[in-house]
Amino acid sequence: MSHRRRDMDDLGPGEEEDEDYIDEEEDEEEADAVRSGKAGGRKRQRSEFIDDSAAEDSEEEEEDDDDEDDEDYGGGGGGRRGGGHRKKKKTASQFFDEEAQVDSDEDEDEEQGEDDFIVDGGADLPDEEDARRMHRRPLLPREEDQEDVEELERTIQQRYARSSHTEYDEETTDVEQQALLPSVRDPKLWMVKCAIGHEREVAVCLMQKCIDKGTELNIRSAIALDHLKNYIYIEADKEAHVREACKGMRNIYASSKILIVPIKEMTDVLSVESKAIDLSRDTWIRMKTGNYKGDLAKVVDVDNVRQRVTVKLIPRIDLQALANKLEGREVPKKKTFNPPPRFMNVDEAREMHIRVERRRDQMTGDYFENINGMMFKDGFLYKNVSMKSISAQNIQPSFDELEKFRQPNENGDGDVASLSTLFANRKKGHFMKGDRVIIVKGDLKNLKGTVEKVEEDTVHIKPKARGLPSTLAVSEKELCKYFEPGNHVKVVSGATEGATGMVLTVEGHLVNIVSDTTKEVLRVFSDNVVESSEVTSGITRIGDYELHDLVLLDNMSFGVIIRVESEAFQVISIIQLARSARVDVDCIPEFSFVLKGVPDRPEVALVRLREIKCKIEKKIFAQDRVKNTIAVKDVVKILEGSCKGKQGPVEHIYRGILFIYDRHHLEHAGFICAKSQACVVVGARANGDRNGHLVSRFSQLKSPARVPQPPGKPHGGGLPISVINALFAAASGRNWGGRGGHDALIGTPIKVRMGPYKGYKGRVVDVKGQTVRVEMDASMKVVTGKFEAFLCARDSSRYGSGSETPMHPSRTPLHPYMTPMRDPGATPIHDGMRTPMRDRAWNPYTPMSPPRDPWEDANPASWGSSPQYQPGSPPSRTYDAPTPGGNYSEAGTPRDSSPAYVNAPSPYLPSTPGGQPPMTPSSAYLPGTPGGQPMTPGSGGLDIMSPVV
Amino acid sequence: MGSAAPPAQIPTSFGHELRACLRCRLVKTYDQFRESGCENCPFFKMDEDHEHVVDCTTPNFTGIISVMDPSRSWAARWLRIGKFVPGCYTLAVSEALPEDLQNLCQDERVMYIPPKRV
Repeated sequence: MSHRRRDMDDLGPGEEEDEDYIDEEEDEEEADAVRSGKAGGRKRQRSEFIDDSAAEDSEEEEEDDDDEDDEDYGGGGGGRRGGGHRKKKKTASQFFDEEAQVDSDEDEDEEQGEDDFIVDGGADLPDEEDARRMHRRPLLPREEDQEDVEELERTIQQRYARSSHTEYDEETTDVEQQALLPSVRDPKLWMVKCAIGHEREVAVCLMQKCIDKGTELNIRSAIALDHLKNYIYIEADKEAHVREACKGMRNIYASSKILIVPIKEMTDVLSVESKAIDLSRDTWIRMKTGNYKGDLAKVVDVDNVRQRVTVKLIPRIDLQALANKLEGREVPKKKTFNPPPRFMNVDEAREMHIRVERRRDQMTGDYFENINGMMFKDGFLYKNVSMKSISAQNIQPSFDELEKFRQPNENGDGDVASLSTLFANRKKGHFMKGDRVIIVKGDLKNLKGTVEKVEEDTVHIKPKARGLPSTLAVSEKELCKYFEPGNHVKVVSGATEGATGMVLTVEGHLVNIVSDTTKEVLRVFSDNVVESSEVTSGITRIGDYELHDLVLLDNMSFGVIIRVESEAFQVISIIQLARSARVDVDCIPEFSFVLKGVPDRPEVALVRLREIKCKIEKKIFAQDRVKNTIAVKDVVKILEGSCKGKQGPVEHIYRGILFIYDRHHLEHAGFICAKSQACVVVGARANGDRNGHLVSRFSQLKSPARVPQPPGKPHGGGLPISVINALFAAASGRNWGGRGGHDALIGTPIKVRMGPYKGYKGRVVDVKGQTVRVEMDASMKVVTGKFEAFLCARDSSRYGSGSETPMHPSRTPLHPYMTPMRDPGATPIHDGMRTPMRDRAWNPYTPMSPPRDPWEDANPASWGSSPQYQPGSPPSRTYDAPTPGGNYSEAGTPRDSSPAYVNAPSPYLPSTPGGQPPMTPSSAYLPGTPGGQPMTPGSGGLDIMSPVV
Repeated sequence: MGSAAPPAQIPTSFGHELRACLRCRLVKTYDQFRESGCENCPFFKMDEDHEHVVDCTTPNFTGIISVMDPSRSWAARWLRIGKFVPGCYTLAVSEALPEDLQNLCQDERVMYIPPKRV
């Protein structure tokens, strides 16, 4: 055995072979050089070695070597490897021999091999091996070799002296490690349950036990992983050995099952990711403790051995407090606040009589300002801290923070956004299919493409350039998202998260974005940005104002808040008084913009919150070009101007200006500002048409009626006729001869029959389709509802007109009469009472009463023709305004169609001709129930009413 | 025990005072290193110069493997500690040996493999 060989053994077992071959090769080279030309031979030898290396027994060989080596260690002679020994080495050729011999040892049993080596030491072997070797390599004459041995060895030694460093440094390649993969002949790993928290202890105790018991225990190793609690692994050939070893161990649950680790998973057990953070200079970290907790800092120096790092951060120093302290003045014990980070200003410190020493750091040669033991440079504090007090994982410095770090030395390191930092912060699944990416590292740098597929750390991209494979697999770390100027993007993380804007420029992996809201330029990492058409501010409320509110500004202009930003509240608002304009108001807590403009030239201005006077909440109506009423939420179409053709619901109306929201409008958060006159309500008919709509119904129903408007299209149904009747009757009653159609309904007093406003009275302000807008008398509020929701409140007109008052007195006395004389008497009384009253009520106040008479006349069931019948209907009329409607539908219509009906039941059906036969009779037959009586008419009225509505 | 080599010292505790030799990954307590050095790397002379203990060892390591029979243990071979004395080792250290000590290894003609950075 040569010493030289032993040296080689110090390399990893895998490398050792390699070494040898290299060795040999070189030896041969030398030999060749000396002997000048035996090229063929050399080649052949080489191949032989390659074969050898592939031979199955390589492991055995290693083991033999290992054993031998162990002995060396056992011997403990460190000096043995000294240069002196090397001198005494056997010749290079002997080394070959040995190599060959090892090869030939294939079949030797391990122990045997070990013994051999120990015993032989080297002397005998060579001869035997020489012979063999001659066989194998006839072309390499040994004698010649020996001649040059001395020289050769020197050369080699030199060579190795030079190159050994690099060779040692050479990382073991995966291939070499592959050779060590476990095979069936290797011991197995067994998983043994142990007490939680005692994993290491168990492993160490097993070691101790093995030492104590000597060879009794047949386990090879015990492994405690830091990340695996409750289990340790024991390496042994047999489970029985494991059990044996575990016997009597305090923290091992020997009774539990012992699991074998499949061969394939054995390497996983041992492949431990080094948990150490790769702290290197310029790494961004955050402080974990103290005043600076959470602060960003940059590593300037790392002392791995002492586990300390020097970081630079922006100092948080209260100079005043420091001065006080240094001068021995009282320093308040309690720290009420943490000084904000601020660069150290040495001059300022000096002014406060704080002693500043300028010192040179011996290690780096840099000058530092030393204040009270703290080191400053360029305003930064340089702090030496334990690695445990910093956190280096997942640090996401915001751009602002990075900017701050750059401030003092303006030209500063351009590494503000060093790639390493960037990549360290990426989350899993950073890239998604379809993302546009650019390669930022390696040969393909600057190649653009789109993501096709994402695997673990590999992203398959489809390059844009021609002549490349359709997809390329690229490491995630070499990729960066890529945007082009003009892209509309959204910031998805970082300080400006939520902001949207347009990409202005792209600088490497930084993009400059013009914010949609503030119009400011944001610098963000492309990693933090996604393409998006969304336009948002993130925040929708500020103070009392909400996004899209119509607000009045102090200069009496108004606008709609189109954006509220956390840092800037912007209102897109507009409008000089007389001019119509779009109001885009963006508000910032502190300040905001109002965009001013005229309809076609909208202006967005950034306004301060305090510049907003108030919210305009009043419901206002406007008229479109064809005089249709436009209300909020009506969909209108813009007929002129730059936004011609756009349409959308009206969000706000003010001073004849409509703020229309069009989803498809990209500017101003979709708001378009237009004069009402420049718009038309979508789906509305021409004004006249629309008016005729209701009229037509009326005219249909009451053909004889004199309706001023020409009949429109036949009413298509949908509304209960009674409803129309009621409404129309009310309207006609009031406005007869005046404006026609639905306009005629406007101003009609009305009562809400259902919903939250039930019972409220109001006036119709607008009629559109089947909906009515009613202004509440009490609150001046305008509510919208379907026809069905309202009653025509005839009586409401009474209080308005004053006719009510006289009526009441008459009505009150009526009741007593009514009860006793219900059947016979009520009729005339009611009749008598009502008719004049009615006339009185209507005639004096409206010019329409004359038409009414003819109308009554025209009705076959009118007063004259059926006095008996009258009693029923009149009471209802008396009590409730809508009754007329009821008459039309139930009383009126039958009357028209069936005079017989009118005649026949007259005595017994005075109050309710059609609606309530069951009830009326009963009340009619029980004259003795005065209590019930008043109700009858009342209920009759109600019932009649209900169909109305 | 298949190997005749006398085992290294066994750690006397299992806590934070444990350190691992940066070259051979042997795990012992600081005191043990200081008193008797590293069995595999005597040339570091930790027992002679206590400063060396700090330089040559680290408290920052991952996992422990007690190798009873280095030559016949697959795990030891896989971890490339199969030629060291029996003892407690760590699976991985995270730091590299200081450069001057690496040079020392070179001078001593012993193998040093710096830890792989992940």
